[in-house]
Amino acid sequence: MTENKKKAGDIPLLICVFAMACFGCLMIYSASAYTAEVQYGDSLYFVKKQLLGLALGTAAMLGACFLPYKKLEKLKYPAVIVAAVLLILVFVPGVGVTNYGATRWIGFGGFTIQPSEIAKYAFALFTAAYFAKNYKKVKTVTGVLPVLAVGGVFCLLIIAEPNMSITMCVGLLMLGLIFLSGTNLKTFLIILIPFFFAVPLLIILEPYRLQRLSAFIDPWASPKDEGYQLIQSLYALGNGGLFGTGLFNSTQKYRFLPFAESDFILSIMGEELGFFGLLIFFAACAFIVYRGIRIAKNCGDRFGFLLAAGFTLVYGIQVVINALVVSGAIPPTGLPLPLISSGNTSLIITMASMGVLYNVSRGN
Amino acid sequence: MSITLAITFIFFIILGRLLYVQVAWSSELKLRASDQWNREIPIIAQRGKITDRNGVILAGNRTSYSVFLRPNAVVNAEYTATILSGIFKIDPNAILEKIKGGKVSEVTIARQTDKESIEKLASYDLAGVYYSRDNSRSYTYGDALCQVLGFTASDGTGVAGLERFYNTILSGTNGEITYSTDIVGIETENSKVLYNEASPGDEIRLTVDIDIQLAAEDAMRSVYKSSGAKSVACVVLDPRNSDVLAMVNYPSYDLNEVPRNDTESLNALTRNGIVSDIYEPGSTFKIITAAADIEEYLRGNPKAFSTSYVFNSSRTRTVDGTKIKCWSDHANGKHSNQTLAVALNNSCNPCFTDIALSLGKETFYSYLQNFGFGKDTGIDFSGEAVGMLVPETAVRDCDLARIGFGQTVAVTGVQLACAAAAAVNGGNYYSPRFLKSIISADGKTVEEKKPVLKNKVISEKASQILAEMLEGVVKEGSGKHAYIEGYKVGGKTGTAQKYEDGHVAQGKYVSSFVGFFPADDPQYLALIIVDEPQGVYYGSTVAAPVAGEIFKDIIKIKNIEPFERTE
Repeated sequence: MTENKKKAGDIPLLICVFAMACFGCLMIYSASAYTAEVQYGDSLYFVKKQLLGLALGTAAMLGACFLPYKKLEKLKYPAVIVAAVLLILVFVPGVGVTNYGATRWIGFGGFTIQPSEIAKYAFALFTAAYFAKNYKKVKTVTGVLPVLAVGGVFCLLIIAEPNMSITMCVGLLMLGLIFLSGTNLKTFLIILIPFFFAVPLLIILEPYRLQRLSAFIDPWASPKDEGYQLIQSLYALGNGGLFGTGLFNSTQKYRFLPFAESDFILSIMGEELGFFGLLIFFAACAFIVYRGIRIAKNCGDRFGFLLAAGFTLVYGIQVVINALVVSGAIPPTGLPLPLISSGNTSLIITMASMGVLYNVSRGN
Repeated sequence: MSITLAITFIFFIILGRLLYVQVAWSSELKLRASDQWNREIPIIAQRGKITDRNGVILAGNRTSYSVFLRPNAVVNAEYTATILSGIFKIDPNAILEKIKGGKVSEVTIARQTDKESIEKLASYDLAGVYYSRDNSRSYTYGDALCQVLGFTASDGTGVAGLERFYNTILSGTNGEITYSTDIVGIETENSKVLYNEASPGDEIRLTVDIDIQLAAEDAMRSVYKSSGAKSVACVVLDPRNSDVLAMVNYPSYDLNEVPRNDTESLNALTRNGIVSDIYEPGSTFKIITAAADIEEYLRGNPKAFSTSYVFNSSRTRTVDGTKIKCWSDHANGKHSNQTLAVALNNSCNPCFTDIALSLGKETFYSYLQNFGFGKDTGIDFSGEAVGMLVPETAVRDCDLARIGFGQTVAVTGVQLACAAAAAVNGGNYYSPRFLKSIISADGKTVEEKKPVLKNKVISEKASQILAEMLEGVVKEGSGKHAYIEGYKVGGKTGTAQKYEDGHVAQGKYVSSFVGFFPADDPQYLALIIVDEPQGVYYGSTVAAPVAGEIFKDIIKIKNIEPFERTE
């Protein structure tokens, strides 16, 4: 493995990512125009914000393309510290922004950012860097401990917001990266044990999660309360059928489906573009994941491998969870569909992470 | 390799789930969702008209409007409530409660409101408030035929009279406008509007002749005033088929201003007494007894009296130890040498006691049955009374003796009129009826109702003899106040004492007269009932002239030529 060996970068990945982000703006327009007009008097309210995110995201992606990824290895501690500080800032009165009963954002002037979105990537970066350096320790529980510690602190901070879905993402990411680090089965199983206890514990701590769970089993038992979101999502998908109602022709976007432009944008896509539309969309998602894994596999060094695998995992986990939530296969939880859902933090950092993948693919 | 497999696996799980939701479950989900996607505004069906036998509109429609409110589409609840309460005179708090209650998606604010209110409402352009066309009933003749026609509730359904009886025919089917809205009921920009047309109700054409009705109304109104009676009633039938040509109960009320606030007086005023109330007929019932006797005599029954038989002229008969007296004192040769015809002229009670007792319980009761006493006539109207007839198994001779001249029996006006019609029309008993035909909104006849012949009561010959005798009653007997020069009018008077709590009520009488013309081919039959006249109370003086008035009007209206001209 020689360094500085230039390979052709994965241009199709970048094109796919950029196209998907643009498509996201289109879908946000379709899903939010009516609501935005009613609520803000500006049908382009969400689209304008997303276009700004798209510009910044594209810049971040291109920047990351040319930033040698190995420099990131040195940023593992700053990344963790910055992420942790941002996560804590959420709880500082006056800085944290509360919406729908959860404090997940911090506000700067007119902008808000979602620290948990950054934390996912910071964690992936830290873990990749740590395991790359300490690859001999990964076979013992103590050796994995720093990763568990950072991941655990992040999870606690995120669940305290509360944000169940990103906590789950970080947890799954942690497991995935530990598994990929080359640990042995025994260590992996020991680490797995606390995860099993985590779910019942979380339910005991916040009883509303149990209601969410029952609403998932029979949403029509509480159609106006817990079941509402899922019912509306299913109505959208059902209305779409095989071929969809056509772009801009959603009925559910007329304020029936909450979060139509963000966490549940997939429902509107399913309604307007139908099952076949979603089939193409998921094929594109699978393509990104496939390219990400290929980049990881082809990468010569351990850090690059784990970094690429981690970022790909972050993306893939989110897509899968979002799809399962929207289609009612798992209990509802708020999680954006990366590159599509409205939300600049997620968009910018996801695009940036894809830029890093590209850089890894070039073997810099 | 295994990772690619895992990705593929997850990929297919998601697609499988989506395929299930979007394809297998799709139609059920869409059905459930259509509830929230669509809103409906009702289109109220045009109610069918009620017309008289010649198509004159008795009950028609006036365009009005209904106002609805969708609570969750209201922008400013207080403002909306204030405006609505101002226009429609409703308590603003009640409206506010409806808006904020949030239980129902649509509330009715007002029905049958006029155009001015709607124009005022439209000028405010209130969010969440809608209106649509409605019908208000309009009755051409106000109080004429009011108890028969009945009226409708504010939602347009018939709640009284024929409006209620034929509500299903009249009401039609409401339609609706369906359009897609957003979550709060605001019509969406690409709304698919569906019109489901209302189908109008059918017209019901009655047997009633409004001209005869109005003549009868006039006559009854004047006798009500002149006699000081508690109430008066009248029915005019076509005796050939018992079509109801007119029916009056007075006092009455204006159908266009129904006194809805006073339930007690409303109940009294809306009661169609001639169908729903019973009374002791008295001497008018002698028509039936005479009919039975003539028919039995013609059949050769030795117990029947011939038309030339002279009845015993004693004033009293003693039956089962009770003494039955004639209303007349029989002094100075009154009520002597009476044949059946003379007995009818004089309305002599003992003669009819003789007939009833002679024919016997079994024979006499079979006639009462055939003439429809003790059971309903089958008229197309709710709340018909069946009258009171002592059961054949329980009837004593002293009862039978009194039934012969119309006591110990109670009938409805319609029962007696139909029985009298059958007695003089050739002997055919028809069920009385109001509905002549059903006509669709576009003028096509949906159904032509045929008269219902129930049974034969007496032979044509007997009927003819009886009619002739009854013509004599008007010509030279107690019915002479109904006489019209140049026309053959037949009839029979009746004066019955009223009973209260099982005892004769002193000074309370029901005066009545049943008359028909022309006697040799009866086409009009009228029963006049005057309940509790003040002062003069004989049917001959109180009721008979009213029938005469009505018949004179009919002659004028129908331009009927006299059978003989007098110089």
